Amino acid sequence: MPSRSRLVPAVLLMLAPNRAAAQTPARDDGQWTMPGKDYAATRYSALGAITSANVARLRPVWTFSTGVLGGHEGQPLVVNNTMYVVTPYPNVLYAFDLTKDGYPLKWKYRPDVNPSAVGSACCDAVNRGAVFADGKIVYNLLDGHTVAVDAATGAELWKTQIADLGQGETTPMAPLVVKNLVFVGPSGGEFGIHGWLKALDLNTGRVVWTAYNEGPDSEVRATPGTFKPFYDRGTDLGLSSWPGDAWKRAGVPVWGWLSYDPQLDLLYFGTGNASPYNPEQRAGDNKWASSVLARRPADGSLIWAYQFTPHENWDYDANAEMILVDLDVGGRSRKVLVHFDKNGFAYTIDRVTGEVLVAQPFAPVTWAKGVDLATGRPVLDSTKLTGASRGNITGICPSLEGGKSPVSAGSYSPRTGLFYVSTNNLCMDFHAAQVTRIAGTPYIGAATPYKPGPGGHMGAFIAWDARTGRTVWEIRERYPVWSGSVTTAGDVVFYGTLDGWFKAADARTGKPLWKFKVGSGVVGCPITYRGPDGKQYVAVYAGIGGDWFLLSGDVRSDDPADVRAPADFMPDIARHTSQGGIVWIFAL
Amino acid sequence: MVAGGVAPVGAILANPFADDRASVAEGERTFVAMNCDGCHGGGAAGWVGPSLVDGRWRYGGTDGAVFHSVFYGRARGMPAYGGVLSTDAIWKIVTYLRAQPLPAGVPTERWQ
Repeated sequence: MPSRSRLVPAVLLMLAPNRAAAQTPARDDGQWTMPGKDYAATRYSALGAITSANVARLRPVWTFSTGVLGGHEGQPLVVNNTMYVVTPYPNVLYAFDLTKDGYPLKWKYRPDVNPSAVGSACCDAVNRGAVFADGKIVYNLLDGHTVAVDAATGAELWKTQIADLGQGETTPMAPLVVKNLVFVGPSGGEFGIHGWLKALDLNTGRVVWTAYNEGPDSEVRATPGTFKPFYDRGTDLGLSSWPGDAWKRAGVPVWGWLSYDPQLDLLYFGTGNASPYNPEQRAGDNKWASSVLARRPADGSLIWAYQFTPHENWDYDANAEMILVDLDVGGRSRKVLVHFDKNGFAYTIDRVTGEVLVAQPFAPVTWAKGVDLATGRPVLDSTKLTGASRGNITGICPSLEGGKSPVSAGSYSPRTGLFYVSTNNLCMDFHAAQVTRIAGTPYIGAATPYKPGPGGHMGAFIAWDARTGRTVWEIRERYPVWSGSVTTAGDVVFYGTLDGWFKAADARTGKPLWKFKVGSGVVGCPITYRGPDGKQYVAVYAGIGGDWFLLSGDVRSDDPADVRAPADFMPDIARHTSQGGIVWIFAL
Repeated sequence: MVAGGVAPVGAILANPFADDRASVAEGERTFVAMNCDGCHGGGAAGWVGPSLVDGRWRYGGTDGAVFHSVFYGRARGMPAYGGVLSTDAIWKIVTYLRAQPLPAGVPTERWQ
């Protein structure tokens, strides 16, 4: 089934130039030094040589097999004419010399990673990328270590254990560096961990502070007078919103993207689901699961927090990116963060205070009827609440894959004022069951079969107006869309599909402009950069994987002792793709 | 531990609950209660961990080899359940897995 573009007529007027264009950076150094391109996580590049008029001539100029089969999430970095690529487990770091013909390696770094981590990674042994700072490439190994490597020589500078594999903590997320601190967090929402964010000294790797996402205020680093959530009042909310000591095995991981506002000096990140999936084992709001937290980088103080899905019943993690922009909302210029949540709502939030300004569904939603802006709380459909005593609950949208995967980082163009995100159109049944925590084993307690959502297409790539909460255009795709996106000053937006196409569309209209079959499904995030020859390049990983809850396993061919039938809701994905990590670079 | 997946001669273990129907049900309950399904999926059909009902085995498919995998664990993430579960309970998990019917046409997936 070919993809098709659909322009939503009611919002065509929004395409007119707007004030956001004034935020266009004056210049772009042509590099890609951190996961989201900039602290605001816009994934916008001011490079404009590749345009909607000429992108049809884009062609591959270089490829590289990473030698690894796991899901290739995240993105390369390009710094000082060197491209840095981190593979999924075993987390090899490659440094390619972009100044030489064929981009030969300057060096590669092969860390010693504990293979048992593969069994504690909920969904696949992925990695979401590295960050460059102060001459160092910093990234996480799957087995709970952060490493810093000399960007010039590949020499290991420090290696710090940050997480406990024995508790089911793994570390695939991409760190962020602010000043002299590296920020890292764990996965483990399916293992009943006790979620946290840590700050490490960039020069030594020493842990400077640890702030937990749930528990007493002393562990959450919430101080009366300093912590001012917009909607909530009281102390020890991370304790009182859980029964007994459930907060100690509550999950609430930090496996997504981090962003930072230098003017406000606030670090923003989302937290994941509460453990276990069976919500009857954790009565209460379960703060601060499925939330956005704003912390002071220097000491981790919690400044404000907002919970997207109180007492979440559906594995609605909030680890998706928080994109920081200034927008006119309701006639006022506001400093906002924009977040596309797994729960199917896109939020435009005042990032100074945590006030929700806009919350509208960007994907089919049945668990809630809307978000009450006066209280910040979702208006629930009680027939969609789950629990072991409630039996099998049917017709829940989105599925626990989310209206959007948090892995698929969206982008924002200040030229169009629009956000570009990959979406899933899947629904689920949810049959919860009582479950016991055994440290280091899954702590889930639910069976959740998927079905395609309304319309039959299982995904889309959309442009979103965060001022009004409306979809401006969408390109429907046959399968769930799991790639990130990048948008450019050439008004082109790039994304990839699960069946292995890398595509370009017109950022203003959604018109498909170009596509190329890259050999494996795309779950990574494309980037663009200026090469040493002055030309603009676009790079992306191919390499399906990242979620064996979504993929049936019939796209794997690496193990003759593990041969599975296709998924009932997606019986033909393996007809179009198989595993395999490849770095692709394109140019005109 | 045998890297190649072939059980050493002389180390063949006998399953005291082989083909015991009551042990199949008990093994299935333990498989769920100990969160085995959290990795290997409902019905052990494969999720993050491999399928255990496709008739194929990384480390050998005899009762003794499967017992060995559960008791000692395996390097790529399979926890060691020896000491957590009794040997009888592990044998009954083996009995449950071995009792599952094999799907037809495992090697071939055809679209046209």
